[in-house]
Amino acid sequence: FCLFVFCFCFKVRGPPVAGAFKERPTKPTAFRKFYERGDFPIALEHDTKGNKIAWKVEIEKLDYHYYLPLFFDGLTEMTFPYEFFARQGIHDMLEHGGNKILPVVPQLIIPIKNALSLRNRQVICITLKVLQHLVVSADMVGEALVPYYRQILPVLNIFKNMNVNSGDGIDYSQQKRENIGDLIQETLEAFERYGGETAYINIKYMIPTYQSC
Amino acid sequence: KKSEISGVMAKAGIKPKSICHAKKWSDEIENLYRFQQAGYRDEVEYKQVKQVDTVECWAETGFVKKLQRRDNTFYYYNKQRECEDREVHKVKVYMY
Repeated sequence: FCLFVFCFCFKVRGPPVAGAFKERPTKPTAFRKFYERGDFPIALEHDTKGNKIAWKVEIEKLDYHYYLPLFFDGLTEMTFPYEFFARQGIHDMLEHGGNKILPVVPQLIIPIKNALSLRNRQVICITLKVLQHLVVSADMVGEALVPYYRQILPVLNIFKNMNVNSGDGIDYSQQKRENIGDLIQETLEAFERYGGETAYINIKYMIPTYQSC
Repeated sequence: KKSEISGVMAKAGIKPKSICHAKKWSDEIENLYRFQQAGYRDEVEYKQVKQVDTVECWAETGFVKKLQRRDNTFYYYNKQRECEDREVHKVKVYMY
């Protein structure tokens, strides 16, 4: 009887929430500082589809070792125009970089890791799309990323099953490519496809529930 | 051969005689769209203004890759189609 009263009066609580999904606060970035100083050779143009970047210097002449990590640093930005410039600048530089991208890959890992560790939905979606573009942008880039999987994949493990269970409803985020769970699966498949022979085993080590494509 | 013709027309400073709007998308319309985004009528005007013989294009698709605008900034275009169907009717086709 005493034990029953004891249990009734003093409820046993579970452990406190660890906050795996909780968003982290953003810190001011070097990208923002350089942009406000006018160090970037870019200008904003408005066209019928939205916005476009006009480059003041030809991309082929840019020093990728200096600019590409700075643009990747801007992935943590969430406000206009910083977020737009970072995203579009990275897209243009990867599209036209060719063999200049591969030597810079090690310097991109820390900005990618910082962007993913913010645990912000929008930032994660953009970063995953950038990663997909990165592995196809030039030869050997996918394989160059393999040693860094243990730095960038752990956060993806947390969000991998973040798929909305809407029953037989329509999930428009899938169409718009904003569904995190699906995006992660797409990104991991791109890593496996372009990462060479050792890619799958390294991905599986970090994300045990991943299935080969 | 088309680029040779436009090169000759550019050197001669020929101006278009008539204009109409595009009705359906095609590779040519895509390139015209890209030139007009950068502020030129078409390839002929671009070569006239910039005094160049060739325009940088994507080898895989033949679409325009890079253009220099009148303020000397550069516009870069995607390898794949950029001109959406709803933008096609805004593309102007100049006849010489």
